[in-house]
Amino acid sequence: MEAEREQELIDRFTLATFMEAARLYEEGVASAQAIDIAMRAGAGLPAGPLAWADQTGLDVVYQKLADLESRFGARFAPPASLSARVEHGQLGIKSGAGYFNY
Amino acid sequence: MYVKKVAVIGAGTMGADIAYTVAMANIPVVLRDVDEKALERAKSHIQKLLDGRVAKGRLSGPDAAQRMSQIVFSADASALKDVSVAIEAVPEKMALKQKVFQELDRLLPPLAILATNTSALSVTEMASVTSRPTRVAGMHFFYPAHMMKLVEIIAGEQTDKDVLDTLSRLSEEIRKIPVAVKECPGFVVNRVLTASMAEVMRFKVEYGYSAEEIDQTIVKHKVAPLGPFVLADALGLDIAWDVAETLQAAYGDRFDPGPELPALVAAHHLGVKTGQGFYPYSRS
Ligand SMILES: NC(=O)c1ccc[n+]([C@@H]2O[C@H](COP(=O)([O-])OP(=O)(O)OC[C@H]3O[C@@H](n4cnc5c(N)ncnc54)[C@H](O)[C@@H]3O)[C@@H](O)[C@H]2O)c1
Repeated sequence: MEAEREQELIDRFTLATFMEAARLYEEGVASAQAIDIAMRAGAGLPAGPLAWADQTGLDVVYQKLADLESRFGARFAPPASLSARVEHGQLGIKSGAGYFNY
Repeated sequence: MYVKKVAVIGAGTMGADIAYTVAMANIPVVLRDVDEKALERAKSHIQKLLDGRVAKGRLSGPDAAQRMSQIVFSADASALKDVSVAIEAVPEKMALKQKVFQELDRLLPPLAILATNTSALSVTEMASVTSRPTRVAGMHFFYPAHMMKLVEIIAGEQTDKDVLDTLSRLSEEIRKIPVAVKECPGFVVNRVLTASMAEVMRFKVEYGYSAEEIDQTIVKHKVAPLGPFVLADALGLDIAWDVAETLQAAYGDRFDPGPELPALVAAHHLGVKTGQGFYPYSRS
C-alpha cells in the first residue's frame, strides 16, 4: 500500500473509532472512562479512543477531522466536545487536560 | 443485594461459558435450557474448561470437582425458585426473550433481578412484559465469555440503581470488568467496532485493496489487535451484517459497510463457520 493511502486508512480507522466514542460520550450513554475501559477490555484496543485523542493532541485530532470532513462529509465533522476543548486550549496530555485530566 | 444463587437461561455458546464463570467464583448456579442435548453439550464444554485448568496446574482436581458441583443442569423450571439473579442467554428474538422474561417473572422471588445478555435488543421492551420493570437490566458479556473480561451493565428506562450496583458487584465477583451503559442500539463496544468496521469496508471498496493488506496494515500500526476483516469472519458475517443494518437504521449511513458484506452473506459465505468469508478457511 502506498504511504499516503496507508496513512488515510489508519486515520479513517482511528478517527471513525474516536468519532463514535465522542458521540457516545456526548449522548451521555457512558462516561469517558467507561467508554475507554469498554473498548480496551471488550475490543482489545491498546488505548481507549478518548485517551488516544488526548495523547495525539486534540488540536491534531481536530485538524485531521476537518480534513476528512472536507473529503468525506459530515460523518467526520469535529464533535462539539472536541471543538469546545480545543477552543479552551485543552489539547489533551500536553496541556494537562482534554477528555481526561492529567 | 446479596446474590445467593444465579440462574443462566439458555445453555448455548454464551450461557455455558457464563455458568462456568459464575461457578468458578463459587457461586451456586442453575443452568437451564429447554433442550436436554444443549445441557449435555454445555456440561461437557464446562468439564473441558475445568480439565484445561487442572492440566495447567491452575486448579486442583478436587477444586475442579467442587466448582462443577456448584452447577445444577436443569430442564425443569422449578429449580429457579430461590434464585437472586437470572441471566437470560436464549436466541436473539424479542418474542422468545419476552416469553422467557414472563416465565422468570412468575417463578423468581419478587426482588430477584432479571438480566439479559442481548447484544442488540431493547432491555426496556423485555422489562415491559414483567411485573418488575425496575428490576430488569442488561448484562452483556462478550464472546468467549469465559475469557473476555468486559461486561456492559445496561440500564433500561426504569431500571433501579441498586439493580445496576448489584450486577456490577456480581460482575466483579466473577472477575469481570463491569462498565455502566445506558440503553441504546449497539451499546458501547459493538457500536464503536461497527462504525470503524464500516469505514474500513468502504475504504476497501473505494481503493480495491485486499482484506489481508488492510488487516495487516492496521495490525502493523498497533491501533487494534486484529484487523476488521479477520474479526468479522470470526464473529460471523451474518451477525456483522445484522448489527450493521440495525445500527444503520438507528444512526444513519456511517454504519453502511458498502456492497461486499451483504454480497458475501447472500452467497452464504459467513466467515470461519462456513469456511469462506473475506478469507478462505480450510475446514480440516
Ligand atoms: N455468540 C456471541 O458471540 C454473543 C455475544 C454476546 C451476546 N450474545 C447474545 O447471547 C444470547 C445467546 O446467544 P448464543 O450465541 O449463546 O445462542 P445459542 O443459540 O448458542 O444458545 C441459545 C440456547 O438457548 C436455548 N433456549 C431456547 N429457548 C429457550 C427457552 N425458552 N428457555 C431456555 N433455553 C432456551 C437453546 O436451546 C440454546 O441452547 C443472544 O441474545 C445473543 O445475541 C451472543
